[in-house]
Amino acid sequence: MARESLLIATLVELADNLVDNYDVIDVLTVLSDRCVETIDVDAAGVMLGSPAGELQFVASSSESMRVLELFQIQADEGPCVDCFRSGEAIVNYNLREDDNRWPNFTPRALAQGFLSVHSLPMRLRGRAIGALNLFRTHQGPMGVDDVAAAQGLADVATIAILQHQSSLNATALNDQLSNALNSRIIIEQAKGMISQATVGDMDQAFGRLRAHARNHNEGLTGVATRVVEGELLPNDLDHPLPPRPKK
Amino acid sequence: MTTDRLVDIFALMAQHEREDPHGVSLCAVAAEITKLSGAGIALTSSDEQASRLCTSNRIAGDLMNLEITVGEGPGTDASKTGQAVDEQNLLVTESARWVIYAPRALAAGARAVFGFPIRIGAVRFGSLSLFRDQPGPLSEPQASDAYLMASVIGRAILAMQAGALRGGLAGELEGTSNFDFSVHQAAGMVAVQGSMTVKDALVMLRAHAFAINKDLTMLAISVVARRTHFDQEDGNWVDVLSAPDQ
Repeated sequence: MARESLLIATLVELADNLVDNYDVIDVLTVLSDRCVETIDVDAAGVMLGSPAGELQFVASSSESMRVLELFQIQADEGPCVDCFRSGEAIVNYNLREDDNRWPNFTPRALAQGFLSVHSLPMRLRGRAIGALNLFRTHQGPMGVDDVAAAQGLADVATIAILQHQSSLNATALNDQLSNALNSRIIIEQAKGMISQATVGDMDQAFGRLRAHARNHNEGLTGVATRVVEGELLPNDLDHPLPPRPKK
Repeated sequence: MTTDRLVDIFALMAQHEREDPHGVSLCAVAAEITKLSGAGIALTSSDEQASRLCTSNRIAGDLMNLEITVGEGPGTDASKTGQAVDEQNLLVTESARWVIYAPRALAAGARAVFGFPIRIGAVRFGSLSLFRDQPGPLSEPQASDAYLMASVIGRAILAMQAGALRGGLAGELEGTSNFDFSVHQAAGMVAVQGSMTVKDALVMLRAHAFAINKDLTMLAISVVARRTHFDQEDGNWVDVLSAPDQ
């Protein structure tokens, strides 16, 4: 499929997801996956600022991305940290030419095979509430169209956070952010239970949660909450299907 | 990463602890940091019963007693739903939300009340209630401070329930502002290992980290890597010594 058609299909899919009681982590995970399929990048992830201004991981397209995102939080440096703090996009930053901007992050990212990084702010009323991060394993700049598409997807991610609120007062916005971050924690608690009970790793545990949510038309957070509260046994969760073939 | 506001909270907590080493400073700090008239913290037990942890002044104490007695109010709603509750003018909305609570809260001296859930993922610890003697919404900084305070209180309650307090709370909480994901995953794993709730697993992990003088995140990483596990039969922690440290 041509890039434009893929992008349109992605936006339609995301719009379809943004109805009724959708699950924000679910939508942001789909969004990360689709970034990799529609834009010329190899990994994508979403980080959000907590009401206190701490950056936290919420969704990613791959495990290596997740590890690097968490590392940025620990080290308090990296493209996402800079983008979130300044509210400015970082585009086509070549890690091989990094002159000590991120002394801890850059060697880690290079070791994982990433050569260039991008981070686009999720903006709301003049402040950044989070960032969409895009990493590439190949050289060469991202095109103008790709950058525009990426910022569009970052804006969709912002809309996903706002949920159904048409007018947001200070408490409501903080509530949405706090709920999104807490959802991620519920999912991690459930992953721990599933990985222990089914003797699998955390990725497999997440796969089971996601498969079960999909098959039963439930939100990821809802399924994870039922697991943590003991209403749904880890071994009763559905197994994921083999990954869908890349278009 | 520790934000400036967290530094302010810990400094305020340390100051209160110096003045009153035996008191629970959390409510006083919550009221001060949000610049509201008063604060109260209620704990929720496994059977949904609320009990008072602390209140910052007499009116906050009256409001807490009222809420526990009548079983409705901002803290009760926040704890039940996991959502923040915002009642900006009790005089106007008197009849709508809390038929019994609202008129008595007004009589006690509150005009606007706010409730925030205290939780770590799906684990619910209770609620933070705040009130003001004037109507009106929370400003953006007040709302973020209240959320921040609720997360600090969550970690404080965990430390208290785990008996993990060497000196003051402030000293114990500093440096662990953000729980690493491995802490949440490890809590899930230990819950299954010990056939217990995730809440109890979290408390057990925190207590064990304290007992062996290890950072909670480091212990959690060890659990996730399956180098440490909880043995349900002897009720002991077991380290797999042969596995190398990563």
